[in-house]
Amino acid sequence: MPLLNQMEPIVKKFYDGVAEGKYWGRRCTECGAIEFPPHIACNACGYHETEWVELSGHGTLQSFVVPGIQNDKPYLKAVSAYGYGAVKLDEGPVYTFVVFCGKKKVAKKLAERLHNGEVIGVHAKPIDREVPLKPGSDEMVHFAELCFELDEVNA
Amino acid sequence: MVKVGKYARSVSIVGVGCTPFTNFEDHPETKGMSEGEAFGYAALEAIADAGLEPRDIQYFYHGSANPFMIGDSLTPNMQVADWFGTRGIGSVHHSEACCTGYVAMQEAAMAIASGEFDIVLSGAVDLAASLPVVGAPGHMRRDFPLEEMLPSIPMVYDRAYGRPLDSAFGISFDNWINEYRWTYDLSDADIDKALNAVAKSLRRASVLNPLGFYEQDFDQVAQANGMPDADTFLTSMFNPKVTQYLRVTGFETKCDGAAAMVLMPTEMAIARGLDHKVIEILGTGSAAYEGATLANEKTGTIRGTKQVYELTGVSPDEVDLLFINDFFMAGDICVPEEVGYVPRGEAWKYAIDGRFAFDGDKPINTHGGRCNFGHAHGASGIADIVEAVRQMRGEAGATQMKKLPQTTLFRGFGGGQNIRVQIIRTVD
Repeated sequence: MPLLNQMEPIVKKFYDGVAEGKYWGRRCTECGAIEFPPHIACNACGYHETEWVELSGHGTLQSFVVPGIQNDKPYLKAVSAYGYGAVKLDEGPVYTFVVFCGKKKVAKKLAERLHNGEVIGVHAKPIDREVPLKPGSDEMVHFAELCFELDEVNA
Repeated sequence: MVKVGKYARSVSIVGVGCTPFTNFEDHPETKGMSEGEAFGYAALEAIADAGLEPRDIQYFYHGSANPFMIGDSLTPNMQVADWFGTRGIGSVHHSEACCTGYVAMQEAAMAIASGEFDIVLSGAVDLAASLPVVGAPGHMRRDFPLEEMLPSIPMVYDRAYGRPLDSAFGISFDNWINEYRWTYDLSDADIDKALNAVAKSLRRASVLNPLGFYEQDFDQVAQANGMPDADTFLTSMFNPKVTQYLRVTGFETKCDGAAAMVLMPTEMAIARGLDHKVIEILGTGSAAYEGATLANEKTGTIRGTKQVYELTGVSPDEVDLLFINDFFMAGDICVPEEVGYVPRGEAWKYAIDGRFAFDGDKPINTHGGRCNFGHAHGASGIADIVEAVRQMRGEAGATQMKKLPQTTLFRGFGGGQNIRVQIIRTVD
């Protein structure tokens, strides 16, 4: 039975890692696929066991859409022009994230560049988030949201 | 009266799992545990117990009593699948407050009995000891003070009449034990003594159960408070009556927890040659009475019990173990008589004589029940089933019953008020 010392809080380790610039996934001990963000079991092959693995935080963009007024978020826009995309980490796993692009005109062209077969590199770019501890409270809780950014922004 | 039909094929429990019922935030090992992880740990234990891998599960049920308030989520089934390696399979969420865990077994059994699926997981989770920080990741939780919990409780009652007329919340806790007291011409002191005796028996079980909430029995609690014994503590100002009959120890211990079970056709289970006993689900009797309805718990229990005995052909004297959802403890006296587990008018004496304890001759709630094992609302019914299965396999450790039970009856209850009366039996 899973006693307390056998129940590791995986979500916490993931977010604590992001805040420190470490990107934790979990590798299936049977098929080797990586769960990122991490889960207890493997969704690639349906095996029960995975183990911690530190990942590069670098990958390639697989798809990309720009936000409209329905799905725009001011705190993201405050960082830079952005969109929502699927990122494939260099180690293999794919998940969807916010992707910062630096400039709006870059964002608008990204889907076409992907369609034309361009390989577009991205790297992790955590941003600080804060939410009230409870509704109406002045006390804020902080966490690091994992986003990505085009490599070319820093080039 | 509804006549319940037999399953189109027999269904059995082949795997069970349960986390500790505790406050995860109070333990450094589990501080930051989210709902998905807790569900995942219970589900993976149940899957392993069944000798399966997550890839073998074809469909799952997710239960939670109040996912909107204490989980910051809607359709939470969508949010737990990845945790136990079942991304992409079909699932459904259901919520019947404290009756959730029993509905979980009924619905999953029907999904298999119908022929739609062969292997189904049914689990439930509630992190009831804390509240989520809305908008923050799942590991961030905050205190859950009583003043924030109390307004949510009447929401299980009818908005038209039961709630605004105040009767549902007011009468539910005591009306059956009050009737019991007058039916048998007992005194307040008799009822108090019986309830305190049940509390002592159940607390002793919780302390001995590695998953249970408490680490001290009532004698130890008394000593810690400078009193000579449990009875002195239980009748002291430290344990006041908070309704006409019920003391603080007669109400649930709210906590975090998750539990799960894996079901499959009995024929398949036997063919697989499991290394433990196969436990067949014989059937479920159902009832639902709004909380302000006169004698809702009693009437629902009578109705559900009649259905399940007629359906299964089981007679009350064949029941070896009884589980009662006792988030308020009056049911521990009233239900054993109503389901025929003990003779009419005798339950209060059975309680005082310790016969309901796990090592007594008529055990109830061998893990300690809601007030002592802990109450993780939607998950608690499945925790009952997990404990029953372990008793029936002879795997209950320090609280193993003297006589290995073959047949267990559950009186599930909750949500103002749903009733499920269910019987499971070891396959020979």
